[in-house]
Amino acid sequence: MTRARLIERALLLAATVSGLSTVSIFVFMVILGLPILTAGHFSELLTGPWSPDHGVYGIRSMIVGSLTISFLSLLFAFPLSLGTSVLIAVLAPRGVALAMKRLVRFMTAIPTVVYGFVGIFLLVPIIRELFVHGSGMSILTAALLLAILISPTMILIFVDSFERVPRSYLTAVAALGGSRIDKLIHVILPCSWPGIVTGLVLALGRAMGDTMISLMVAGNSVGLPQSILDSSRTLTGHIGLIISADFDSLEFKALFACGLLLYLMTSIMVVIIRSLHFRAGVRGW
Amino acid sequence: MKTKIRLSDISFSYGNKLIFKQINAEFAEHCITAIVGPSGQGKSTLLTIINRLWEDIPATNLHGKIEVWLNGTNGTPQDIYDSAYPADSLRRKVGMLFQTPNPLPMSIYRNVAFPLKLAGIKDRELVDHKVKTALRQAFLWKEVKDRLDDNALILSGGQQQRLCIARALIMEPEVLLLDEPTSSLDSRACKVIEELLLTLQQQCTIVMVSHYLDQVKRVADTTWQLEDGRLTRI
Repeated sequence: MTRARLIERALLLAATVSGLSTVSIFVFMVILGLPILTAGHFSELLTGPWSPDHGVYGIRSMIVGSLTISFLSLLFAFPLSLGTSVLIAVLAPRGVALAMKRLVRFMTAIPTVVYGFVGIFLLVPIIRELFVHGSGMSILTAALLLAILISPTMILIFVDSFERVPRSYLTAVAALGGSRIDKLIHVILPCSWPGIVTGLVLALGRAMGDTMISLMVAGNSVGLPQSILDSSRTLTGHIGLIISADFDSLEFKALFACGLLLYLMTSIMVVIIRSLHFRAGVRGW
Repeated sequence: MKTKIRLSDISFSYGNKLIFKQINAEFAEHCITAIVGPSGQGKSTLLTIINRLWEDIPATNLHGKIEVWLNGTNGTPQDIYDSAYPADSLRRKVGMLFQTPNPLPMSIYRNVAFPLKLAGIKDRELVDHKVKTALRQAFLWKEVKDRLDDNALILSGGQQQRLCIARALIMEPEVLLLDEPTSSLDSRACKVIEELLLTLQQQCTIVMVSHYLDQVKRVADTTWQLEDGRLTRI
């Protein structure tokens, strides 16, 4: 076998393993969650309240918690990331841009628990005093902190896609009397929006999948939140809390439904965004 | 013959390397001036110091003075490196064409109209008229008039280069800088561009870098050679 062929095979194997593991996780969760799914309680599970003392294991509040926290954090993080990446890739002087890029890279390596810790001691008191409402542990607190957590990933992907815009396009704009802002608006942003979509998808996935931050600063209340200043529990936080206390109760079994749901929500969102992306890509701009 | 561009004592360095040593030259109005010479002598760089495009390149340094006699200034030349004179105004009067055609990834129409957009001209009828005129001047109108909304990147190399000429012409520039404009084209496309240049001479002053001596012989009025950092008229 030639070397090229060998490498090809090895890569194919790696791709197959990673693809299969995703599928097998899904199958695993369906099998384990099957008792709850077939018992006909699935819709109750999705729409009901969480009240184990009364034998009700609904996860409605956690679904709402997960969705509001992740989308709110994306809402905060997107403008922040777009601005930072524009600064790094287009506007800032070379030295400053490089320093900022290094800092952002470094931020991706900070463990989430550190963010959570800082959040508890810095952000939670601020929110508590600012809004004079509850403990300061709320959807807003978690979303703000998550925004900082997911921004570096988004920034790096945005910067990468900005830098991949062919130089000849930028030279063309400059030679026609365009400024750096003109390059940004007329060429860089339109050319790199597939990268912007990718960054958004990954960031949303990260926000929805993150456990530690919501567990530490969202307050973990099981009630249905009425505003973003209310305490809330996410699906991931819920799984973490129950799993740490239990392994064979009915509560525990309901977790598989949570896991399945998280999996489906993330997958569906990725598929929707990708298909939009694909259709637009074919049409051109 | 009236002078359009004057270079006085131009020295230019890149890092520690001195590229031009005290260049002095004058290029006449409505003429085609060719710049020839071996590769790697900075012929392209010489063009970019006339529209200040080199300023984006780090570690470069320029000394000397460049004056351009712009229309409507009563015979006083404009020092293009005057700090009060913005680069974008200069680049609207001094257009440039590159070795490889560089249309933007948008429709043919939007490519040609792009400089007007940058200049903030929005009048739909005026833009339509100017796009049409520029495409005619660039000998491209007949080939693209039925597909103005097609992506410009599907045009052939020669058509793309003529599209870039149309895009440069739409601002009615007084000077056109051409950096080996036919080097990526086949001989037929090359011939069309050469004929085009001869007609453009009526409205612009053209400074062209070329590798092909026979091309220079066919189109140029005056020829300068760049070698060892010095520019000499031949």
